[in-house]
Amino acid sequence: MTDQDGRIVVSGLTKTFGTVKAVDGLTFTVQPGSITGFLGPNGAGKTTTLRMLLGLVRPDAGTATIGGRAYTDLPAPGDRVGAVLEATAFHPARTGRAHLRIYCTINGYPRTRADEVLELVGLAGAGRRAVRGYSLGMRQRLALATALLGDPKVLVLDEPANGLDPEGIAWMRRLLRDLAAQGRTVLVSSHVLSEVQQLVDHVVIINRGRCVRQGPLTALSDLHGPIVSVRTPDPGRLHAALIRTGIDEGRITRTGDQLRVTGIQADDVGQLAFIEQVPVLWLAAEQSDLEQVFFALTTDNSRQPALTATAGA
Amino acid sequence: MRRLIAGEFQKLFATRLWLWLLLGSMAITALYASLQIAFSDDPDTWTLPLSTADGQQTLFAAAASAASPLVAVLAAIGITGEYRHRTATTTFLATPHRDRVIAAKLITYGLTGIGYALACTAVVTAIAVPWLSAKNVDLSLAGNGLPATMAGGIAAVALYALIGVGLGALLREQVATVVGLLIYLFVIEAILTNIRALDAWTRYLPGPADNALTGITLTNQDYLRPWQGGLILTTYCVAIAAAGTYLANRRDVA
Repeated sequence: MTDQDGRIVVSGLTKTFGTVKAVDGLTFTVQPGSITGFLGPNGAGKTTTLRMLLGLVRPDAGTATIGGRAYTDLPAPGDRVGAVLEATAFHPARTGRAHLRIYCTINGYPRTRADEVLELVGLAGAGRRAVRGYSLGMRQRLALATALLGDPKVLVLDEPANGLDPEGIAWMRRLLRDLAAQGRTVLVSSHVLSEVQQLVDHVVIINRGRCVRQGPLTALSDLHGPIVSVRTPDPGRLHAALIRTGIDEGRITRTGDQLRVTGIQADDVGQLAFIEQVPVLWLAAEQSDLEQVFFALTTDNSRQPALTATAGA
Repeated sequence: MRRLIAGEFQKLFATRLWLWLLLGSMAITALYASLQIAFSDDPDTWTLPLSTADGQQTLFAAAASAASPLVAVLAAIGITGEYRHRTATTTFLATPHRDRVIAAKLITYGLTGIGYALACTAVVTAIAVPWLSAKNVDLSLAGNGLPATMAGGIAAVALYALIGVGLGALLREQVATVVGLLIYLFVIEAILTNIRALDAWTRYLPGPADNALTGITLTNQDYLRPWQGGLILTTYCVAIAAAGTYLANRRDVA
């Protein structure tokens, strides 16, 4: 198997439901060996995109391929791609084990594989109980177990953290990390960036069916650059000094004796204050607030040229 | 395809519905056959004399009459359940070519229908052989056109199973499919076939075609020949299954 087998390429994908353009010329690529977050607010078109990628929804235009082929053209798709689209999609009267064994039969895996994946997702004790007695978290685990049956090279997970408790989320992070480290492609959708922030390497952010940003997660925080807060008895003088060094007026906010500056390192502010002989009472580099960046990208303000210019980067 | 069919049987046997409906079919068959035999001596009887070939054929057709609607319901629940419980997503992920899924279901439920028909025919036989013998009525399972009735019954039940699958694929909504199927079979068709003036047309409906196939002569309605009935019923199956498959292939599974 080459890395090529695990690459997901979405190109010009479009789908209209009635008068609503759910997905609008969406283009992005997902590379193997890493975890990619597929992010966007509710209704952004994430689920529709994933369903088109997996051959469940017919696109109006565009293509989506996995390893160069449409999902419906993959021989033995269960061996290549594992997907979790709905955590509640089980027959309530079947046991978790019976559910998995059905897919073992259909895909031609040995029946023992069902018990292996139950073990893997921590459901070994619940396998012989009917799914109707499962909690949402257990159903998520069973859905993941179903996706993992064929030991697939590509995993596509739609909101897999829904219904998991913090311990469950930590467990899923570790599992997906391990799977990506083995060279697999992992695409995880979420409408909350903070939920996957510690998990993903790359992000594809969509809004209203369009890609607004694609790239490494670290690049997302660079969008605003570093942020520095400084308290001084003479904020006016420091403010003027900052402007003189070429900092744009709009990047400085003043609250009482405190200045908040984006796009500058804390060291530089400290140096500047020393040169200008402005006493510094307190100086701190802020953690870049990714959630705020995400919010800015996915609200209508995101149509600002400065942000849309980076789309498709 | 073999694996898909095995998977469909696993789905079917993962819950008990098949067993309850099988026991129901057998119980209805037993009731229906017993009533026919018990009242066969009554001069005002609603059945034909059981010494005649027509009477015996009608008696043995009880198996198909009882099993057909229940098998159609089982098949309809089997396919619409995929949509109701949203397992269609997982099913079509495992098998993206949905016509293969529908084909596997048609075969699975067709075979299940044959199983039901065999069980119900065994019930009629178990009741009729000792009872008619006690009444000194000659009954030869190899004569009086009974082999044709039994074979026709097995085919009829299997075809009803296919109608259930096809209709389910077409409508997807479980309650609508099952209720629609039952209302059609027990209300609409019952009313239409009771209108003598319409006999020339209503004999082409699935129920009367089914009766023609199994050799029922319970009413005065003028049925088609058995092979014609079989052909008509098969035509319905093919048309409904083809429409259901076409739509299942095209529709979005959202």
